[in-house]
Amino acid sequence: MKRTRTADEYVSRAQWMASVMWVLVAAAVVGCQPAQDEGPPKEGVAAFYDGRIIRWIIPYSPGGGYDEYGRMIAPYLEKYTGARVDIFNLPGAGGMRGVNELFHSPNDGLTIGMINGSALVTNEIAGMRGADYKIAEFEYLGRVVADARVFVIALASGYDSFEEIWKLGQAVKIGATGLGGSTYVDAVIANEALEMDLDIIHGFDSSSVIRQAMLRGNIVGTWGSWGSALDAVDQGRDKIVLQSGKLRGPGLSDVPTAFEMAEKLDNPERAIAILMAWDSLHAVGRPVAAPPGTDAVKVQFLSTALDNALNDPELLETAKKFGRPIDHVSAAEMRQIVNDAMVLPDDIRELFVRAIRGEL
Amino acid sequence: MGIIEGLISGFLQAISLSVFPYLLVGATFGLIIGVIPGLSGHFAMAMLIPFLYTMEPAAGIAFLLGAHSTVAQGGGLTAIFFSTPGTGQNAATLLDGPPMRMKGQGALAAGAALTSCFLGATFGAVALALLLPILQKVVLFFGPSEIFVLAFLALTFVAVLGKEDITRSMIAALLGLLLAMVGVDNVTNQERFTFGLLELRDGLGLVPVILGLFAVAEMFDLWVSGRSLTGSQSKPLSARETQRQVFQGVMEAFRHWWLIVRCSAIGTAMGLIPGLGSAPAAFIAYGHAKQSSKSKDTFGKGNIEGVIGSEAANDAVEGGALASTVAFGVPGSSSMAILLGALFVLGLETGPSLLTYHVDVVFVMIFTIIIGNLIGMLGGMFLVNPLSRATGVRSSVLVPVLIVVVFTGAFAVQSAWFDMFIALLFGIIGYLMKVLDYSRAAMLIGFVLGFAVEKNLYLATQLDGPYFIFRPIPLTLAIITIVFLAYNIWGIVKHRREADDHVG
Repeated sequence: MKRTRTADEYVSRAQWMASVMWVLVAAAVVGCQPAQDEGPPKEGVAAFYDGRIIRWIIPYSPGGGYDEYGRMIAPYLEKYTGARVDIFNLPGAGGMRGVNELFHSPNDGLTIGMINGSALVTNEIAGMRGADYKIAEFEYLGRVVADARVFVIALASGYDSFEEIWKLGQAVKIGATGLGGSTYVDAVIANEALEMDLDIIHGFDSSSVIRQAMLRGNIVGTWGSWGSALDAVDQGRDKIVLQSGKLRGPGLSDVPTAFEMAEKLDNPERAIAILMAWDSLHAVGRPVAAPPGTDAVKVQFLSTALDNALNDPELLETAKKFGRPIDHVSAAEMRQIVNDAMVLPDDIRELFVRAIRGEL
Repeated sequence: MGIIEGLISGFLQAISLSVFPYLLVGATFGLIIGVIPGLSGHFAMAMLIPFLYTMEPAAGIAFLLGAHSTVAQGGGLTAIFFSTPGTGQNAATLLDGPPMRMKGQGALAAGAALTSCFLGATFGAVALALLLPILQKVVLFFGPSEIFVLAFLALTFVAVLGKEDITRSMIAALLGLLLAMVGVDNVTNQERFTFGLLELRDGLGLVPVILGLFAVAEMFDLWVSGRSLTGSQSKPLSARETQRQVFQGVMEAFRHWWLIVRCSAIGTAMGLIPGLGSAPAAFIAYGHAKQSSKSKDTFGKGNIEGVIGSEAANDAVEGGALASTVAFGVPGSSSMAILLGALFVLGLETGPSLLTYHVDVVFVMIFTIIIGNLIGMLGGMFLVNPLSRATGVRSSVLVPVLIVVVFTGAFAVQSAWFDMFIALLFGIIGYLMKVLDYSRAAMLIGFVLGFAVEKNLYLATQLDGPYFIFRPIPLTLAIITIVFLAYNIWGIVKHRREADDHVG
């Protein structure tokens, strides 16, 4: 039987709702109390951030390298801003979707993002469709890390050093992901700078599929970030035989740099010029930025907080333990690095543009 | 550490007080995530990662993998009761699950699905354990040439799925292949069929497409027809009847143990192949169940074997998918990539060192899959009654609610508004296909395998030359494909001739 409500029940319902409201209001008032007891009331920009929510855009999927960095650092950023930091994954278009979103987000200081610096600089230089941002206009808060680019070969390939492959006089196959992707651009640029003719097989789905092809002996090696190469190297399957930087990086002291190799060429000038440009692009690494036009005081506050977070001993310990190196530079240095990366000599700029477009 | 020692240690760790509670929480969480359309195992694991930083390795693995392993069980329930795949891998369950519900056998299907998942997962996990000594060789077996031929073989299962109307099925499958081409081509860096939209550069998302084709289309159908989800049955099952059917379903699953073994083997084998995923595995297992069944004609009209076959396969995939992750630290799917990241956070190295020094950890994974699915099966049984009751709600109330859930699910994968549009578009396409009797399953198989076929064909020609097909392993697989296809075509021709004879 269907039961109908009486008028009394409606009244009691309304009363009940009212009492719930009162309890909520009371709880809210009480809940606010302890916050004031925590210390002197915060002033200015610190008061603005206290208890607010910062949206931190990560332009890649959960579980990837960028995401891991974000989730590792977020609690420390909370500690130094007093705000809650929510990770917001926006994968797509090779990192461009998240960065476009960051560029067009409200510049109220409550949205920040970690960006795939080097790739976005090159995309903008090449005028890639969909690069709906201006890398120079972001407000930089600092850089988390700049991964060295390394050339890894499978030990099973029978080769042991870069020079061995270099002097071979015949093209060996190396793997890359999509045409114009970072592993492909690295391979093309290294070929160009060091006057090599390695056979670049692109079209692999991901770097892990490349690793598998190396294991099977289908290809000899690949370019990639140092962090992603570490696992296989530790397991004694792969060997890092060349690094991109000017100086040998920490932990890579026995691996020659591309610059050292370039010195062995007959006319090293062009090679050095290409490698310099390459190096300045990689230095951009993974910066954290806020949308253009964000209030300078807030940018200052956030960059100080990031600075403190990335130098927190506890975070450094965690980062070391999980093999996620931190290579922090300040906001001012970061701006300089971006400016350097954006101004390339014309012929070298042309070279990079063609590499990214897959025309080489 | 020896394998036997590792096995014992792994088992004791998995049931110890410091690990089991995490397994229980993780598995329950995964089950609920699975029930919600659009949220997948990938999502469940990603949500749990922040908790791992302070965990012990075994507890962390149990927590994460437990959640991942029960997702398909939860998704199966949604598929059966709401004609909406809870996750992509449950799409095949839609072929026979909802028709069973319409006949008033929803709880029977649910009981069978939950049990098949558990048995399938156990099969996959045991297979992984047995393969441990030769795991590395098994994983290296699959290169681009082999994957190309295998994906092609899988594609030919369309012929089985759409036997009744091969022309329509071919149209649907080829349309699926065409859809797989959308996006930037990795090889030429050209945009294909993106219509200048940045959102289409990465191609069509699997989850929004599946949700559209099956869930949204179903909502349209309910809305247009105005009937409730219980179909001809006026009322949902009573609690007592539900209970009786669930247990009957469990018994049915055990009774079809041989079908489960075969479909699980298909699932495990497809899990071993990187990049194929579990949705096609379930369809192919379904195709196999149909082909080997005595009552082929009742498939698609509520045959319990269809539910058992696809659900067994979609969970058996896990064991296979773990193989390359464990053996080399090379993840075969996005979920496995997350697991790999998590292992890293937990301070574990994958690859040979894991197999040599931490084989107990591998067994923790294996037992997590088995125990997690057992928890999922038991927990899922408690969900059957409330879900079954909800199907009795009339469609004018239920459809709006489900539409909200489904579109939220489509949005949640990548936080993309565009994906909601994709779900809507494919909802319309799916509805038209349903009305005009085109096979959505064939289209999905084409769509999912299109990537694998195209990319691996290119890589195979680059790595092994134009005559890669004549190398021993690809050649063997190619011959199997041709024989299989010929057998099916012959069956179709024979069937048609018999039908003609009857008419004549």
